[in-house]
Amino acid sequence: MIEPALPVKSANPLRTVRPAKTDETVNPEVGQASRAIRNLDWDLLWEKFGIATVLAFVWILAALATPRFANLDNLASVLRQSAFVGVAAVGMTIAIIAGTFDLSVGSTQALSAWTAVAIAPYFGVLPAFIAAVAVGGTIGLLNGSLVVLVRIPAFIATLGTMFLISGLTFILTNGQTARFNGKDFVWWGNGLIGNIPVPFILFLFCAAIGAFILHRTSFGRYVFTIGSNAGAAYVAGVPVGRTILFVFVVVGLFTGLGAALLGSRLYSAGPGLEPGFELNVIATVVLGGTRLAGGRGSMFGTVAAAILFATLSNVLNLNHVDAFVQRVAVGLVLLLALSVEGVRQRLVERWNRRQRPSS
Amino acid sequence: MLSKRAVFALFRLSPVGLTLLVVGVVFTLLTPTFLTLNNLLNVCTSASVVAIVGLGMTLAIASGNFDLSVGSTAAFAGCITMSLVPQIGVMPAIVSGVLSGGLIGWVNGLIVTELRVPAFIATLGMLTIVRGAALIYTRGRDIYLFGKTEYKMLSSGMTPVLLALALAVLFSVLLGQTRFGRHILATGSNIISARRVGVRTSYVLWGVFAIVGATAALSGLILSAQVLTGNGRLATGLELSAIAVVVLGGTPLTGGKASIPGTLLGSLLVAVINNGLNLLNVSVFYQNVTLGLLLLGALTLEALAAHRTLNRATA
Repeated sequence: MIEPALPVKSANPLRTVRPAKTDETVNPEVGQASRAIRNLDWDLLWEKFGIATVLAFVWILAALATPRFANLDNLASVLRQSAFVGVAAVGMTIAIIAGTFDLSVGSTQALSAWTAVAIAPYFGVLPAFIAAVAVGGTIGLLNGSLVVLVRIPAFIATLGTMFLISGLTFILTNGQTARFNGKDFVWWGNGLIGNIPVPFILFLFCAAIGAFILHRTSFGRYVFTIGSNAGAAYVAGVPVGRTILFVFVVVGLFTGLGAALLGSRLYSAGPGLEPGFELNVIATVVLGGTRLAGGRGSMFGTVAAAILFATLSNVLNLNHVDAFVQRVAVGLVLLLALSVEGVRQRLVERWNRRQRPSS
Repeated sequence: MLSKRAVFALFRLSPVGLTLLVVGVVFTLLTPTFLTLNNLLNVCTSASVVAIVGLGMTLAIASGNFDLSVGSTAAFAGCITMSLVPQIGVMPAIVSGVLSGGLIGWVNGLIVTELRVPAFIATLGMLTIVRGAALIYTRGRDIYLFGKTEYKMLSSGMTPVLLALALAVLFSVLLGQTRFGRHILATGSNIISARRVGVRTSYVLWGVFAIVGATAALSGLILSAQVLTGNGRLATGLELSAIAVVVLGGTPLTGGKASIPGTLLGSLLVAVINNGLNLLNVSVFYQNVTLGLLLLGALTLEALAAHRTLNRATA
């Protein structure tokens, strides 16, 4: 993983001004050991590998505690479950790194999935998937235009399109669920290649594309730059408007693909497909170590977080834990993972204060 | 009729108010039933549920934060109160319901200030946790309340409307006349400067989140009183409607500013449109479309106006 050679440190405005983080704190009075520890950049380590490590521990614990967890069928099902949120999360990761986000992915998912399921019986699988992705891309273009051309804040613009698209989907479908169980269509959501579920392979493929875009293209570099400081990026000649517009299109495209996969997995899709999907996607991205403030984040973390959420609900299911308790568990995991960074900051600050009692 | 100048003045004063006026006139002309006392009372009642939580949300947004957990808090408080009414009586149950909401809000505040989790994620986590807690508490079933018609008082007649108005007055005074209110606005416009000049921003945010939680709980109580049923799935999606109403009312998401009357008018506008569409026999499905279009339209106008003043300033 190569970080772009751009200022990507500390996008959180709360951090930069804490007294303990100003220039005085890096004075020579602070011990060598502390500086060595600080130089390790725990932020970056946690951000990149934190959730993957947690995931590894969770898998080991789950395998020890629940005998049924570690068998190939079950693992395949965990991985498959991770894909449906995961594919949309790939796009959302790029958006959040760019410092915006998209609340309309839930509505987009419903419309795209319905499109795919409705089209597949008449035109075949490939056109169905293309149509779903195209619907997503179009909605993304709409979002991007509203944010970039009309200059509505992303939160409200995508909140508006969320209501708009969800209403349109209900009107278009007349509230009915579309069904289709054609073999080559449902294979994409349910099939296996070897022992690996097809949607998971596609998820990894999407994540690889996303990582390539972020780390190997000028577009990706722009995304990081804009997320760190949009104003500075603009002054430095980064085409901010064009990039943000394209970011929203990318989110739409990935959401559309994930939606088609979900429709294929469920053999059906209706207008109220998955309420609260947008918040699940954002939760996954943020759990993966991507900063909501923008400028920092990794696709690797998003993949790990998607698998972690799927693992969590799988393990709880295997142990007959109530679906309601699962919600609590998911929320707690999110809060715990996200408070690690804040608690670490506080500890460092307290430690620094103890080092220099005079000030 | 209004002169052109008066219309412009009204638009500048309150775009949402003007829209409300226009929409109201249109529905009055299109349907015979819109402009009747009974119907208007219905509209006001349905507006006040969102308005109450919207007023709390206005404070949160003015302080530079969101609260995404209000829908779950509303459901949780509704369920708690419904099950407490038979045991401790109506008034104590209502008070403890509202307090439980305030407590949840205070926890939100703690997570934001002490664990330094961004409000968006902190309240997102609390959204699923509190919703789960409400569902666990009710075991996914409905809680019915038989024979306790005093509880119904909370949702009948003018009570919700009066509550919303009282809260609006209270919050206006709070924001305009008290130190706490000024601290909220200071925290929202620049938390760092506010801290530097001695505002205890943590305490401010605890207070704000507790207030949001309490208003959310009050909305939840009214919702549950309307049907005399407590349900863990109550008020799903209330958080985004509440934010939409606040934004429609002209409170900017950037923080530091609040428009209490705007929030009232915004929730009234949404309720009027939903009501009018119902009276016109338009499918419920169109209500979301109009809400979306309203939001986008309002913000487009605002963006265009900002653009114009900017151009005029630079020219």
